[in-house]
Amino acid sequence: MRSARFAEIEAKVRAGVRLDEDDGLALFEEPDFLALGALANEVREKRHGDRTYFNRNVRLETTNVCYASCNFCSFAKLEEGMPGAHTMTVAQAMEALRRKIDPSAPPTEIHVVNGLHKGLPFSYYEELLSEMRREYPAAHRKCFTAVEIHFFAQHYGMTVREVLEKLIAAGLESLPGGGAEILHEDVRRRISNDKATGEEYLAVHREAHALGMMTNSTMLYGHIETFAHRVDHMLRLRALQDESVARGKGRFQAFIPLAFHPDGNGMEQLPGPTGVDDLRTLAVSRLMLDNFEHLKAYWVSSTPKVAQIGLAFGADDVDGTIVGETIYTAAKKKAPDGLSVDDLVRLIREAGRIPVERDTLYRVVREFPRAALEGQFKVRDRRQGKHLSVVS
Amino acid sequence: MSRLRVAGVGFLNALPLTHGLADDPSIELFLGLPSEVARRLNEGECDLALVPVAAAATLGDVDFLDLGIVARGPVRSVVVAANEPIERLEHLALDASSRTSVVLARLELAARGVRAGERGRVVARPPSEVVTSIGGSVGGVIIGDPALDIEGRFPHVLDLGRAWNERTGLPFVFAAWAARRGSYTEALVDRLRRAAAEGIAAREEIARRYASQRGLPPAGFVSYLRDSISHTIDERAEQGLSRFLTDAAEAKLLPPPDVRVIRTARPEPKPRASLDALLVRVADGGRLTATEGLRLYEEASLFDLGLAADAVRKRKNKPDVVTYIVDRNVNYTNVCTTSCKFCAFYRPVGHDDGYVLSREVLGQKLQEVVDAGGVQILLQGGLNPNLRIEWYEDLFRWIKATYGLGLHALSPEEILHISILEGLDVPAVLRRLNTAGLDSVPGGGAEILVDRVRRNIAKAKCTSEEWLSVMRAAHHMGLRSSGTMMYGTTDTAQDRIAHLVKLRDLQDETGGFTAFFCWDFQYERGTRIASGDHGTVLYLRTQAIARLMLDNVDHVGASWVTQGPHVGQVALRFGADDWGSVMFEENVVSSAGTTFRMDAARIEDLVHRAGYKAVRRNVKYQHLGEPA
Repeated sequence: MRSARFAEIEAKVRAGVRLDEDDGLALFEEPDFLALGALANEVREKRHGDRTYFNRNVRLETTNVCYASCNFCSFAKLEEGMPGAHTMTVAQAMEALRRKIDPSAPPTEIHVVNGLHKGLPFSYYEELLSEMRREYPAAHRKCFTAVEIHFFAQHYGMTVREVLEKLIAAGLESLPGGGAEILHEDVRRRISNDKATGEEYLAVHREAHALGMMTNSTMLYGHIETFAHRVDHMLRLRALQDESVARGKGRFQAFIPLAFHPDGNGMEQLPGPTGVDDLRTLAVSRLMLDNFEHLKAYWVSSTPKVAQIGLAFGADDVDGTIVGETIYTAAKKKAPDGLSVDDLVRLIREAGRIPVERDTLYRVVREFPRAALEGQFKVRDRRQGKHLSVVS
Repeated sequence: MSRLRVAGVGFLNALPLTHGLADDPSIELFLGLPSEVARRLNEGECDLALVPVAAAATLGDVDFLDLGIVARGPVRSVVVAANEPIERLEHLALDASSRTSVVLARLELAARGVRAGERGRVVARPPSEVVTSIGGSVGGVIIGDPALDIEGRFPHVLDLGRAWNERTGLPFVFAAWAARRGSYTEALVDRLRRAAAEGIAAREEIARRYASQRGLPPAGFVSYLRDSISHTIDERAEQGLSRFLTDAAEAKLLPPPDVRVIRTARPEPKPRASLDALLVRVADGGRLTATEGLRLYEEASLFDLGLAADAVRKRKNKPDVVTYIVDRNVNYTNVCTTSCKFCAFYRPVGHDDGYVLSREVLGQKLQEVVDAGGVQILLQGGLNPNLRIEWYEDLFRWIKATYGLGLHALSPEEILHISILEGLDVPAVLRRLNTAGLDSVPGGGAEILVDRVRRNIAKAKCTSEEWLSVMRAAHHMGLRSSGTMMYGTTDTAQDRIAHLVKLRDLQDETGGFTAFFCWDFQYERGTRIASGDHGTVLYLRTQAIARLMLDNVDHVGASWVTQGPHVGQVALRFGADDWGSVMFEENVVSSAGTTFRMDAARIEDLVHRAGYKAVRRNVKYQHLGEPA
């Protein structure tokens, strides 16, 4: 049964009135989950109709050595020499890229995220970017989270602006959204106390936007945070986005809620979010972040199955093919390693939407017809030959 | 030009309507039983059909021509026959496939305050066994030519045509030429009118020929066809039809009528009910026609379907409870003779990888079930010709004696297989297995209960009607079963709705289905069939429309095994009130190819965090107390 409070919020949304903190909380508490989804879908369809974006991207993590000890992380190793710790040289990184990239269908984006490694020179990152630019000039370089940029500034004794300018000169084109976790310090202190604070994370994006750069943002939810922390997180991003939009240079393109996965990290005792929470978080994000153009149902964190439903709960993007992701893999994600374009097109069509391949900056690469002939698409071997027992 | 496919009925009373069509090269004429004719119209296998009015009402979106089978007084061919006075009848034996007569019988008996007219007092029998079922407080509804054959044999007879006519003052329309709205041409209507005119003129000759073919005196047949039956639906008859369909809808025996009689070949387009009106009706417990169900399935928003399904789920079941069962799925053999195209599990007879589980292996598995507090096993396997009925009986007795577990065993396909292998009829097989310990029948192998689809994906499998008849027999024996649907092969949305209507019809008859589960075909290497429609959005829509169509089934389960546990949690908001079963062994789940074990603690955690209380149940969906 939808609450009276929900009816008020619905009226505000339809009138184009911005939602406030109380509204956000009420949406997280709204008993009528489907009414919430329908309202988020209304906003999504008003912005994008059935159009649903994806891109062809490759993931690269060149080092998992990270001095920060975030409780939610299953990926990082504190020091070189620890079991599983691994750092590639620039040459090795390029070799790894070549292995991931099919030259007949090169990606439009290379997405690099790394640990905070204290033993590498700044030139390592510059070389990495310039090598990528030299070898794959057509692939947009979306590299280094705001947390990494902040670390570079501290560690190499530069301002954030200097770091960004040097990296841009070497080939950096935009920033991924990682490292936001939960911006509120009460939570952040407890889950990741030794890396950029929430304000520092935002400061990097502010600087990048001022330099005309497009960036993205995330939120890691479903661990120790409350709904109030999630709403606070969204409001901080929304406020910065207002500033950046007003300045008229760079801004946030997409918001990407990331489901916490409790395997192999310091918070294994926590259950992780439910499928219902995944969808509710997408829907509330769509309604609160009225100045964000795009909302991603990131299939790597939520599984392609939940991401499909997410396309009805406010999301208009499923991220990309994501060849070679290792961070959620370390947290025993339930999603497959990389999807083909056919897979993504099928995933989007099965959800009743129109697939649009985009580049990193959301320029259209290829529009797909609404064709209903699913039989034309190759079916991935989903079962790996094992028998499935069906409950009846 | 392709030939028009016309389906008529082979009963004497219908022959005048098709008499003039027999030699027409532009028409492909089929004559069969009313239930088969209705099936052809439902499943799009004919363009025009002489269907019982109840079947048309179930389908919906149908236009009747003003030609059919009408009784203006005593009809003689639709009667309740009994040894006791009609007023004392407690039960009715009948051939449930003749839905119009069944509904008419119930309305008339209920109007007379006879107990046999109340809900749940119908005993479905094959047509050939209805007469022999009559005795004591059990009456029989005898339909069609058999009714003429038994004239004078029973002391108490209620002619349902006369009964209706006396009570309402209106004629009764049993069947009419029907077509999907907008799918027929003026030329076809003209052709049928001419044929009927010829047939009506020739009806005495038709009756005499019919009598002589049976070696019977013609007089009774001639007067029947001339005096008891009329073939035109005039305005009075139309009023009778309308009254019948409305009364039946009020008694919740049929959906609200979405049919009309047309008197011109170019009728006005009929305004359709809004989607909102359909959603409100069904959320309030009303019944949908097949056509209305299809419209909601294809056109309603995901959220509207979910909200309506959730409303039904909350009314039928405790809103805050999700049930689950501790049982184990054991596949006793993988040897199978059907070679279904969608199955990667089976091995042909004589194959090296074929197995039959030994008592030792089985015993170990069953002991684990007992140790985990389990209450039953789900035992299914291939159609293995080396296993005779005694093997199953021994196995069941051993399981009961040694482990005391409930036996939810052998899908209809396996029961039919044993029936054929042993030369025993299905009820006899079920009786023996039941005596040996069978408690309930799993609903597997239903796939899609539309024969065109079944032939595509599993040629050797039983027909829809065979599958349903095993369930009918099991239900009549008091065995409960689940109903299932596997979609996403070569089936269309219309096929899925037809499937749901078949389950709903059988459930009206027997009430034997406890729950419904559906899932999409899980493509795997080694299968030989292309994949059809899939995806989790379609799953939610399908589960929700099933909840809405199956207004007479108590429970709907979330197929988390195929959709993944997170989608399972979401499915609880789309009409599901059950989480199915724990999983003892690792099974491949979801497109990711990841593996899952699902013990009771994990189920309770997933259900609890989705906002519900998890309660263990048995196969009858009785709650087994609070979770541990």
